[in-house]
Amino acid sequence: MITFQNVSKYYDHDTALRGLSFTIEKGEMAFITGPSGAGKSTLLKLMYLSEWPDEGEITIGDFTLASLKRHDIPLLRRDIGVVFQDFKLINNLTIHDNVALALRIRGVGEKDIKTRVSEALKKVYLRHKADSYPRKLSGGEQQRVVIARAIVAEPSLILADEPTGNLDPNTALDIIHLFRDINIHGTTVLIATHNRELFRHTGARVLKLDNGAIVGEERG
Amino acid sequence: MALHYSFKSALQSLWREKWINILSMLTVASSLLIATLTVFTLYNVELVTNHLPERFSMLVYLKDQLSPEETQNVVAAIRKRAEVAQATYISKEQALNELKQTFKDTHSLLEGLEENPLASSVEVRLRKDFVAAAATSKIAEEIKKIPGVDNVYYGEKVAEAIYLMKKSVQNISVIIFLTVSLGVIFVTYSTVKILFYRRNEEIDILKLLGATRGFIRAPFLIEGSIIGLSGGILGIIGAFIFYIAVTYRLSAIIPILKTLVFPAGIIVALPFVGIVLGLIGSAIALGRLKL
Repeated sequence: MITFQNVSKYYDHDTALRGLSFTIEKGEMAFITGPSGAGKSTLLKLMYLSEWPDEGEITIGDFTLASLKRHDIPLLRRDIGVVFQDFKLINNLTIHDNVALALRIRGVGEKDIKTRVSEALKKVYLRHKADSYPRKLSGGEQQRVVIARAIVAEPSLILADEPTGNLDPNTALDIIHLFRDINIHGTTVLIATHNRELFRHTGARVLKLDNGAIVGEERG
Repeated sequence: MALHYSFKSALQSLWREKWINILSMLTVASSLLIATLTVFTLYNVELVTNHLPERFSMLVYLKDQLSPEETQNVVAAIRKRAEVAQATYISKEQALNELKQTFKDTHSLLEGLEENPLASSVEVRLRKDFVAAAATSKIAEEIKKIPGVDNVYYGEKVAEAIYLMKKSVQNISVIIFLTVSLGVIFVTYSTVKILFYRRNEEIDILKLLGATRGFIRAPFLIEGSIIGLSGGILGIIGAFIFYIAVTYRLSAIIPILKTLVFPAGIIVALPFVGIVLGLIGSAIALGRLKL
C-alpha cells in the first residue's frame, strides 16, 4: 500500500528526513513513533503531498508520487483519509457539514450524504452532535469528528498525526480502539505518535523514527 | 450536487460578509448606472440623427433656358444615382408660387417683379445611409458635373455638425463603457480577493481533503457573478428612476425631453453584462490556484 524508497526531505540546510525506506502492506495497521521533531509529521505530509520529497520515490496504492501530475493530486488525496493533529475543522460549518465535505468534494448526492454522514458520526458516538459547531465540542469530540470525516468516504488508507495529542488517557485509548475497528474492516491505518502507551499491546508494527531516519522496528 | 454546495456556500458567504458585499454591489451599480446612462444618451442621439436624413434635402439648381428634354435628362440622371431616394422637379413658376404662398401676408415684397428671378430646381432626398457629411459633399460635387446643372445647395454645415456630434457621442460612449467595465472588474476582483484571503484556512482544508480547483473556485465565481448581477439590476432601477425623473419632471421645463426613449433591450443586457464582468473579475482574483 505504501512504499518509501530512499526518501529524503530538506528544509533549507536542515535535513527533515534522510533516505527513508519502508513498506506498509495493504490492510495493515502500523505506528510511527519518535520524539518531537523526529520527522513524523513531515513523513505523513509527504504521503498526501502537503510537502514534496526532495529525493527518492513514494508509492501510495496505484499512485507513484514522483510522476503524479498536479491536477491528479485531488485523486490521491481522496484515496487517503487524514486525521490532522490540529483537527482542521471549518468553524462556521456544523459537524454534519464538516463531515459531509469529504463526500461533497467527491460529488456524492445529498441524499446519500445524509445517510453516510449519519453512519460515520454513529461510529464515533457523535450522532447527537450533528447540528453543533466545532467550537462547542471538547477536544476529544473534535478529534472524533475528524476521524468521522476521514472514514466517511471509505478511503483505502487512513493517516493519523498525533491523533490523541491533546486528549486524556481514556479518550486516547477509545480513539485507538476506533482505529482498530476501522482497520479490521480492511482499511490500512498509519498512526504517528510519540505516546508509547497507544501501541502497547496492539501487536501492530511500530517504526521508530529519530532525527529523520528510521532507527528501529518493533511490535506493539 | 457539487453545484448545489457551491451555490449554498456562495450564498452563505454573501450573507456572512454582507457589508463588504453590499458595498461592492452598490459600487458596481453606480458604475453600471453610468454605463446605462451612456447607452441611453447614445441610443437617443442615434434615434434623432437617424430620422434627420429624411428631413434633409439637396437642392439642385438648373441652368436657365434648358429645353424640356434637357431638363428631363438632368432629372433622369439624378434619379439614376443609387444614393438618391427621391428627386422632384420644381419649375421656376412653381418656385415663384411657393414663394408667394410663403409671403402671402406681406404681398408688397414681391410686387413689382417683372420677370421670374428664380431658377428651376430638383429637390433631392438622399437615402439614410448616404447622409454622412463626407458622402453628401461628394454626391453634390458629382451632381454638379451633370450637364445642365448650375449649382447644388445642401445643408453642408448642419450635416457636418450632426455627423461630428454623432461620432463624438459614439466615441465618448465607448471610452466611458470601457472605463466602467474595467472599474466593475476591479471592484469584483478586489472583493473576491479579500473574501478568498479571509477563507484561506478553509480553502487549505478543502485542498487537503481532495477538492479540485473547480470545486474550490466555483463558490467565489458564483459570488462574483451575483455581485455583478445585483449591481446590474440596481443600475437598471437607478437608470429607470432617472428616466422617469427626466421625462416626467424635467420635461415640464424642457419639453423636448419628453421625446426621450428608454432602450428596452438594456433591461436584459445590463444584468448580463454585470454577470460577465463579475465573472471576469473573480476569475482574475482566483488566478491559478495551487493545489
